Amino acid sequence: MRITQGMISNNMLNNLTKSYSQLNKYMDQLNTGMKITKPSDDPFIAVKGLSYRSQVVRVQQYKSNTNEAHQWLDNSDTALNGATQALQRLKDLAIQGANDPYNAEQRKNIREEVEQLKKELIDLTNTKLNDKYIFNGTDTTNPPATIAGDGSVTVNTTQKPVEISVSDNIELPVNVDGGKVFGGDFFARIDKFISALDNNDQAGIDTAIGDMDKNIDSVVNARAELGARMNRLDLIEDRLSQQEINAKDIMSKNENVDYEKAITDLLTQETMHRAALAAGSRVIQPSLVDFLR
Amino acid sequence: MSTFHGLEMARQALASQQTGLYITGHNISNINTEGYSRQRVNFETLSPYPSASRNRPQIPGQLGTGVRAGTIERMRDQFLDARYRTQNSETSYWQAKSTALSRMEGLMNEISGGDGLNKIFDDFWQSLQDLSTNAENSGARSVVGEKAKTLAETFNYIANSLETIRTDLKSQIGNESEGKIGDANSLLRQINALNKEIAEIEPHGMLPNDLYDRRDNLIDQLSSIVDIKVTYKKSATSSLDIADGIAEIELVDDAGMPIGVQLLSADDKNLLDDALGKFSVDFDGTKGVSTVNFGKPGAEASFDFMKVSGSLKGLIENYGYMEGGNVKGSYPDMLANLDKMAVEFAKAFNDAHGKGYDLSGNHPAFDFFTGDSAKNIGVNQSVIDNPSLIAASEDGTTGNGKNALALGKIITDTLPGDTLGKDTSVKGFYQSLIGKLAVTTKEANSKLENTTYQQNSIQNDRLSVSAVSLDDEVTNLLKFQHAYNAAARSMTTMDEMLDKVINSMGLVGR
Repeated sequence: MRITQGMISNNMLNNLTKSYSQLNKYMDQLNTGMKITKPSDDPFIAVKGLSYRSQVVRVQQYKSNTNEAHQWLDNSDTALNGATQALQRLKDLAIQGANDPYNAEQRKNIREEVEQLKKELIDLTNTKLNDKYIFNGTDTTNPPATIAGDGSVTVNTTQKPVEISVSDNIELPVNVDGGKVFGGDFFARIDKFISALDNNDQAGIDTAIGDMDKNIDSVVNARAELGARMNRLDLIEDRLSQQEINAKDIMSKNENVDYEKAITDLLTQETMHRAALAAGSRVIQPSLVDFLR
Repeated sequence: MSTFHGLEMARQALASQQTGLYITGHNISNINTEGYSRQRVNFETLSPYPSASRNRPQIPGQLGTGVRAGTIERMRDQFLDARYRTQNSETSYWQAKSTALSRMEGLMNEISGGDGLNKIFDDFWQSLQDLSTNAENSGARSVVGEKAKTLAETFNYIANSLETIRTDLKSQIGNESEGKIGDANSLLRQINALNKEIAEIEPHGMLPNDLYDRRDNLIDQLSSIVDIKVTYKKSATSSLDIADGIAEIELVDDAGMPIGVQLLSADDKNLLDDALGKFSVDFDGTKGVSTVNFGKPGAEASFDFMKVSGSLKGLIENYGYMEGGNVKGSYPDMLANLDKMAVEFAKAFNDAHGKGYDLSGNHPAFDFFTGDSAKNIGVNQSVIDNPSLIAASEDGTTGNGKNALALGKIITDTLPGDTLGKDTSVKGFYQSLIGKLAVTTKEANSKLENTTYQQNSIQNDRLSVSAVSLDDEVTNLLKFQHAYNAAARSMTTMDEMLDKVINSMGLVGR
């Protein structure tokens, strides 16, 4: 085949352009850390990448939801712990007040403390977390416990569970049904205790000891159930952490560049590019003219 | 035998070698001229002396009388030209496709940068999840409103940008005197003008090499727009056999078979530009190209443009064309799919939204998303103005975020009623759109690479025949210079011989 200067310089330019675009590709890979820069580079990687990335987003969102669930459970537990202590103190006071030698005056003093503890319990029932009442089911904007004019307390007992989505199809109930814990006779028993103290009614105070035990049981049962749910949440959290690592790993394997390979490719390509430049610059220069006098 | 035979022979030799030197100079001058074919002088011996006749002188045999420059011919292979042009149509077709698809791909922007619809959908889904855990929180509600707005705006942006590119494609297709159609029409007129000039020169026994080159160049350009076949017709009986003749051009399909559209014929050379055949395009509103026509004024007829490869077809396939009353093409398809996706998503979302309760415990009295296409989908202003109207609750209680979860499922789960296809979610639908786009773009890119490679290889074959090589030309310069010098020396020898005869003879014994 007859080769002319024009052909050599055309071919050289074509090859240099190709070599340059290869260099550019490896540069892009190293700069972005991605194997591909546009879907057509590798449709398979691109489409899988879309769903892998969404998967990572989902797992991360569920993880953030579990944090929310944790807040609910932890705060409910703290509040119930406070309730247990208050009730324990009430029981102690009942035992103390049931002693024979206590007179009406001393029982009045006990009554003052009981009143305070009742208020404390009402406050605990109306515990707020981030402006939400946590013991009133999904009706989070209204307090569960309301005090009537005569001092009697009513607690909303028709509560709907608050559920937080922690996995594609798992919605975890995160609230403690305040109606079941503080509802019913919970506050009526304390009121009875108070009136027994008022009336210096020793038999009534004796009954209050048992009543306070019933209240304590009610709170303890709720805490036991809460503890079980916390364990479940911990398990779910562990699983989500594992899933997050897996999802990120799969995503990264799919679309992130293997640096050793990319750098090696870049160096190889650079060597080839230099060789092409060196060869080209030697070949396109001389013609017969340079050797004729 | 004439006394001056030798002088005359040397004179002819000088003149002929000089012609050789001039042509060499012409070649060197045009080494960088686009489409130039190197030229060569065909030297011929002059008629020998004596010719057969009764009164021929009695000399031992025929005596050569020297050289003359016969014809000046260009080095060109028309079969390579034909191959090059077919390949050129193919390359230009893929070039047009690859460019248009790459623009679409860049617009969707799913990999680098990553603000494509997929990510925006993910963001929106996250905001709905956050809302579900904090249904009474007005901050979470506002975020949902804003993310929904971003989603709608992304739909708008992509759809509008696709339309903008389509408008650009339309102007690239052009009409009559604009765009590719205009280019083709103008090229046909220029080729016809050259045909006419060539037809005036050839009958005189000359070869208009430089006009041939210019004409071939124009035909090459035409072949990038439409696939053509060129045949040549002798211009006159007196024209040389090696003359190219008049170029006749017709459209051909992928197999190289004529489809019955003659773009230029030998008789056209006498026509004025306005009377020549012309390409034109009919558009069906903004939907797509309905017909592509060709013909002389008053005789325009449509032809099947899908059969004719080239950049015109590439552009039309992207811009969109009518087939059986439906619009087809990569851009209209993408727009239609985006519309479908936006509409079905909005519908399912609005349905689910309507089933929920807002913060005051009422069913929403409005649609969350408005609009009926990707271009005009929007978020109801009430949502932005008063985020508490977002129906996040399933039962009317404020802390219930289950309807927000249900809304999130509209994004990730199969749409109710399989409106986007069986078992297809909005995101799945979009991912398959991107997948299809990626595959077609990749195909166009690799086809472009292959056809370009082949075209370069044919171009090299062509250059191998036609291109000027400095080594050749410099060698020829030496060759002709030496021949010229030797002819001059031969003339000097003759001169000395005659000098002897004229000035020194007849002086015996003086």
